[in-house]
Amino acid sequence: MSTTVRSHKAQKVIERLGKKLNRQMVGSLAACVHCGNCIDSCHYVLANPGDVTFAPPYKADKIRGLFKRHYDWTGRVLPWWVKAKSVYTDQDLEELKDIVFGKCTNCRRCTINCPMGVDMAVFNRMARGLLVSVGIMPEGVAVVSKDQWEIGNQMGVLKEDYIDTLEWLSDDLEAEHGARYRIPIDKKNADIVYSINPREVKYDPRTISDAALIFGTAGADWTMPSEGWDMTNFGLFSGDDDLGGAVSRRLYEKVEELKGKKLVISECGHGYRSTRCEGPNWAKMDVKFDMESSVITMINFINEGKIKVDKSRNPEPITFHDSCNYGRSCGMTEEPRELLQMVCSDFREMYPNRAENYCCTGGGGAMSMSEYTPRRLKSAKIKADQLRATGAKHVVTTCHNCVDGLTDLIKHYKLDMKVTQLVNLVANALVIEKPAEVPEVIVVAPIAAEAVAAAAVPAFATDGFLTGKRILVADDEPDFVTFVTAVLEDHGATVIPAHNGDQAMELARTEKPDMMTLDITMPGKSGVEVFELLRSDKDLQRIPICIITGKPELRKLIYERTVTRPEGYVDKPVDEEGLLLNVRKILKAKLEKRA
Amino acid sequence: MTALEFSRGYLHDAALIIMTIVYTLRLYWLTRFTAAKERQAPTGRGDTNSRKGFLYSWANVAMPWAMESTRTKLFLYLQFVIFHLGVAAAIALLFTIAWGYGDRSLPPSLAMTFRIIIGTAFTVGLMRIIRRLSSPYLRAISSPDDHFSLWLLTLWFAFAFLAAPNNVASDAVYITVYYIIGSFFLVYVPFSKISHYLYYPFTRYYLGKFLGRRGVFPVRRYSGATGQNG
Repeated sequence: MSTTVRSHKAQKVIERLGKKLNRQMVGSLAACVHCGNCIDSCHYVLANPGDVTFAPPYKADKIRGLFKRHYDWTGRVLPWWVKAKSVYTDQDLEELKDIVFGKCTNCRRCTINCPMGVDMAVFNRMARGLLVSVGIMPEGVAVVSKDQWEIGNQMGVLKEDYIDTLEWLSDDLEAEHGARYRIPIDKKNADIVYSINPREVKYDPRTISDAALIFGTAGADWTMPSEGWDMTNFGLFSGDDDLGGAVSRRLYEKVEELKGKKLVISECGHGYRSTRCEGPNWAKMDVKFDMESSVITMINFINEGKIKVDKSRNPEPITFHDSCNYGRSCGMTEEPRELLQMVCSDFREMYPNRAENYCCTGGGGAMSMSEYTPRRLKSAKIKADQLRATGAKHVVTTCHNCVDGLTDLIKHYKLDMKVTQLVNLVANALVIEKPAEVPEVIVVAPIAAEAVAAAAVPAFATDGFLTGKRILVADDEPDFVTFVTAVLEDHGATVIPAHNGDQAMELARTEKPDMMTLDITMPGKSGVEVFELLRSDKDLQRIPICIITGKPELRKLIYERTVTRPEGYVDKPVDEEGLLLNVRKILKAKLEKRA
Repeated sequence: MTALEFSRGYLHDAALIIMTIVYTLRLYWLTRFTAAKERQAPTGRGDTNSRKGFLYSWANVAMPWAMESTRTKLFLYLQFVIFHLGVAAAIALLFTIAWGYGDRSLPPSLAMTFRIIIGTAFTVGLMRIIRRLSSPYLRAISSPDDHFSLWLLTLWFAFAFLAAPNNVASDAVYITVYYIIGSFFLVYVPFSKISHYLYYPFTRYYLGKFLGRRGVFPVRRYSGATGQNG
C-alpha cells in the first residue's frame, strides 16, 4: 500500500492541526535548535539513562515533524532535510499516543529550561487533543472524560452519593463540634462557594470535613453546590478544549446561579489551574467573580484572626512538594510555604523546589493511564530520591493528583513517609474554642510519630459500624485479601475470602454476605461475569458490591452492563481509610434502603 | 571583474536582498497565526506581571544562573556565548570589508580582534560538532539540517579567520571563499534552523508574558538550606 494513502483518522488529525495552531505554538514548533539543553531536565530521561526516546526534543519532534511536513517551507519541499514527517496510518497515531500520553506528563520542566523559550507542554497537550478528537487515547482517559461529560465529574460520583457524603460528614461534624459546622449546600449569596475534587468524595472525605471544620471555626459564610461542584477538569489532560470549556462553564454558571461572591478551589493542582487559569479561555467566558485557592483562604483566616492555630500540634518533620500546575503554571509557590510555617514546627525544603521541582510523576493524567504504570513508577525514582533526602516523615502537597502519584511511589520505593495536604495540617493545628458556656478548649491531638497511622483512621471507623458484618472479599491477590481482611476484621467485621470468580459465586450463594468486594481480573470467572451473574440472580442481586480494581480502564466493562450498577467503586492501591469509608458508605446505604 | 570583487559585491548584495525578502515573508507567515488571547486574571505573587515576565524572558540569555540547564552546564553556556559572538563577528567582518575597507587591509588590532573571536568560535564549532556526533541524545534528535548548519558555520569561521586581515594580495582565495560561503549562509539561513534567532524574540516574549502573568517568571529560586530565597 502506498504511504500517500492516509487513514481517515490520520487525515482528520492533519486537517485539525491547522485549526489548533496559534502564534505561540507555531513559535515553539519552529524555534527548537536541538541544542539538547533541556534533555536532562526531564525526570523520564534521568530515570532512563540512554533511552533517547524520553528526551524532550525527541518527543517534541514527533509533533514538530508533523507541523514541519505540512506548514514549514523547508519541511514541505525537503522533508528529510529537517526530519519532517507526516502521519499516514492509525499505527502512526498509536505511536504518537505513546509519546504524548505515555512519555510526558506536561510538567513544563523542560519549558523553563529551554533557552529558546519553547513551550513543549503547550503543543504536547495540543497533540493529545488531536488524537482524542479521532478517538485515539489511553482507555483511562476515555473513561474519565466520558464520566466528566456525562455525569458531570471525572469520577462518576452520582449526585445522591455526593449529597449523602456531605450529609454524613455534616452529621459527624455536628455531633463532635456543633450545628454551625454542618456543610451548607446551595446556599445563595454566600461569600464563599467551595468546589472540590471528586476524589475527596470517593476516597478522601476527611479533606472535606477538615475544610468544613476550618470554615466553621472561622465563621465563614460559605456553601457547597449540589451540582457543578467538580473543579477538576480532564480537558487539561486530554487536550480536549471542548470538554475543558464545558466543565469550566458548568462550575462558573453554578457560582453565578448561587450568586456566590468568591469561588474557593480546594487543594488540587490541575483543578486550580483549569478553573482559575485555563477555564476562562476554554469556556470563552470573562468570569466576574473572584477565584482563589483554599490555601490563600486559610492564610487569610489566620491573618485576620478568624482561626487560631497551634503549630506544635504538627511536630513531625514535614517537606513540601510543589505541584507542577501550581509551581510552573500558576506561580503559587510561596503561599503554601507561608501556611506551612504557620501550622507545622519542622518544615524542610526538598531540592530542587518551587518552579524547578520534579513532577510527582502522576501528573498530566498519568494516574488514569494504567498501561503506563511500570514506566511511571520507574521514572519516579528521581522523585523518590528527592523525597528520601529530606528525611521528612510527611510530604505535604496541594494537589490530589500528586497525593496519588506520591503515595504510589512511596509504596513502590518503600519510603517511610506519608502524604498529607495542607487542609489536614491546618485542621490538625486548629484551636477550637467551645462556646462560652463550655469554657473548655478541645485539644486536637498532635501528630506524634507513633500516632500517625492511628490519626489517619477516621472517627467513623471506630464507631462499631462494622461489628458483626459479614463481608465477602473476592480477589486473586493473596496480599490484598490479607490486607483487606486485617483492616475489616480489626473493626469487627467477619471476612469471607474468595480467590477466584467461581469460588466467589459459590460463597456468595452459600454465605449470603452483607456485602462483597470484587476484583475485575480473576482466574476462572472474571469479576465482570461474577458481577453480572450476581445481579441477575434474584436471591443474590441485593448483595451490595464494591468493585476494587487496579485497572480503572476496565470500569466501562462494569458500567456498560444493563444490570444495576455496583454500589461502590475503588481503584487500587487502596488505603485503610479509603476502604473503611467505602465499606461504611455502602453498608449505611443498604441499611437506609431497608429502612 | 575578479571572483573576489564579484563575491564581495554583487553576490553579497544579492544574498542580502534575498535574505531580507525571505525574512520579511517569514515574519509575515508567523504573524498570520493569531496570538492566543489570555482571559484569566493574573495569578501568582503580586510582585511580577506580564511586562516583568517578558523582560526577564528576553534577558534570560544573559543570565546563566536563571535556568538549571545553563547553571549546571556553565562550560556549555560559555561555548554558546563564544559561538554566537563568533557568528556576530563573522557577519560584521562581511560588512566591514565589503562596505568599509574594500581592497585595503584591516588595521592589525582590528584584524586581531576578529581573529581572536572568530578563531575561538571555530574551536567551539569543532567541539560542538564532536558533541553532536558523540552524544546519543543529540545524534537521535539531529536532522541533516542541524549537522549541515553547524558544519557550514564552522567552515565559515575557518575562512573568516583566514580572511580577517583582508590582505587581498596574498589571501584573495580565502576572502573569496569566505564571501561565497557567507552569501550562501545569508540565503540559506531563513530556510534552516539558523533562523532561530528570528523566532527567539517571539517565543521568549510570549512565554515570558504568559508566565509573568501567571507569576512564574521571574523564576524564584531557593538558594540553600538556610531558607533564604534566591
